[in-house]
Amino acid sequence: MKQSMRTMIGARLFLLLLLAVFGLLSCASTPPAPADTRIVIFHSNDVHGKIDNYAKVAAIIDAERKSSANVFYFCAGDNFTGNPVIDQYVPPGEPVLELLNRLRLDLMCLGNHEFDYGLENLKNFAARARFPLVAANIEAPPGFFPQLQPSLLLKTKGGVRIAVFGLIQIEAGNGLPSTHPDKVKGLVFSEPLAKAREYKTLRAGNQVLIGLTHLGYEDDLRLAQQMPELDVIIGGHSHTRVDPAENINGVLVAQAGSDNRFLGRVELLVKDGRVVAKKGGLIYLGGPLNEDAEIKAMIARFNQNPAFARIIAEAPLEISGKDALGSLMTDAMRQVHGLDIAFQNEGGIRLKRLPQKITVKDIYTLDPFGNQVVEITMTPEEIRGLIASSFEKGDEIDLQVSGISYVVRTDSARQITEILLRDADGTPLAENKQLKVGMSSYVASAYDFAHQDPGRSLQSTTADALIRYLQGGIDLSMYRDIQRAFWQKTAEDPRS
Amino acid sequence: MQIKVNDQVIEIFSGACVKDVLRKYSRIEWKLVKNDRKAVFDRHGHQVALDGELNGGEEFFIKNIELAKTEP
Repeated sequence: MKQSMRTMIGARLFLLLLLAVFGLLSCASTPPAPADTRIVIFHSNDVHGKIDNYAKVAAIIDAERKSSANVFYFCAGDNFTGNPVIDQYVPPGEPVLELLNRLRLDLMCLGNHEFDYGLENLKNFAARARFPLVAANIEAPPGFFPQLQPSLLLKTKGGVRIAVFGLIQIEAGNGLPSTHPDKVKGLVFSEPLAKAREYKTLRAGNQVLIGLTHLGYEDDLRLAQQMPELDVIIGGHSHTRVDPAENINGVLVAQAGSDNRFLGRVELLVKDGRVVAKKGGLIYLGGPLNEDAEIKAMIARFNQNPAFARIIAEAPLEISGKDALGSLMTDAMRQVHGLDIAFQNEGGIRLKRLPQKITVKDIYTLDPFGNQVVEITMTPEEIRGLIASSFEKGDEIDLQVSGISYVVRTDSARQITEILLRDADGTPLAENKQLKVGMSSYVASAYDFAHQDPGRSLQSTTADALIRYLQGGIDLSMYRDIQRAFWQKTAEDPRS
Repeated sequence: MQIKVNDQVIEIFSGACVKDVLRKYSRIEWKLVKNDRKAVFDRHGHQVALDGELNGGEEFFIKNIELAKTEP
């Protein structure tokens, strides 16, 4: 009796085990997908805070959602940095978050500029986002960034499985995304194309496989070549207008330019468990299109950013003239970024004076170009070459400076005979030095001067440096009577 | 990093974008692009924006906007 009971129990356990194993296997295998599923994926990338066209984006996507069952909206990164209205919001980037939530974004890949406001701000953004973030080549310590996932599974209403993994670019030199290294401390980045190979396994069991990337078009093409298992790559970073989307090695590669000037649209047809047709193109947002009234009202509100009127410093009197303003701007660049010397071209100083009560708006009026700070390691001789190049542009002093002072001496024909460089304390600059020199990306690219070190962007704007410097509560009385760049003409100069 | 513009190799600081390399290539061409008289295309013929971020080894061509206009 006992034996038969044991046999019965054993048989039932075996049956349960068999059912459990069979059940697990059936879950792991591809479920039967419905025939002929049409999927529409809208996509944006590199919006960089240009929010004005989101009212049109919303109207387009809502219209499609009303007429189609399976509509998704993806973002391929870089929503932040590039529009002071958004960058200076409190907290920074808040309007983008609210708009993307309202637009019902389905998924976002992190771009390098998502880190520009700092990791804590990004984590707050992620915590409040109603959409997940993906990037497979970022590793964070457990619990450090819970909203960030390497890949994600989406499903259509009929059960078609769409697997998506994200990839973010890294620089060849430091292996980090193009942002300030301090902004990504605590995260580990790996080479994106190597990491992508690990996600080939997502092909099995999913009807659609998508790479949502922030790598740039060239790397998207490399990814398509190495991974024909992909159905689609939706990319960003290089601001490339890919219209129509390209079929590379059987992979549809799409990217929608930048600055919200275009909305990408990819259409897939899934039949018998696989993508049988796919196409993609761009919708130009510059023309007359329907707009979502609620979104339009939100954008109007965001554009009245009260943070612009915020007073960030008070000076004992107005700071006026190129020497004073240039000294202030270069001091800011040098101090904020820990440089030895900094230069600012006078053409980039767009105000004659700063008022005593200095607002955020004043800074963006003084320095409106969005130029990055570039650091180049230079010798004194190379610095003389830069100064000579700037002087010869218009036969006048053109570069304001911090960290040193300089004198340009010319002959009667206004040819440079000598450039004297002095330390901040007035002693001649030692010739054997290698100095960390900062300048705007405009000076670094538009001025013709020799330098061994190609230099590097510090991934922060000159205006941002000025705001941070002024917020530090420095004594602005020193900018009353200040001059650091001098032109000493010979007495024989007929125009002297 | 090195970027090619109209077959000419340009050495530019890392982290540069398209407009930086254009200014270094030719100030005249830069002004034409800035004023929408010309546009920049990658080696596959796709137009790129001036704020497009660069990776070393990329290649671009400056073309007359009338000949290469793609915007609707």
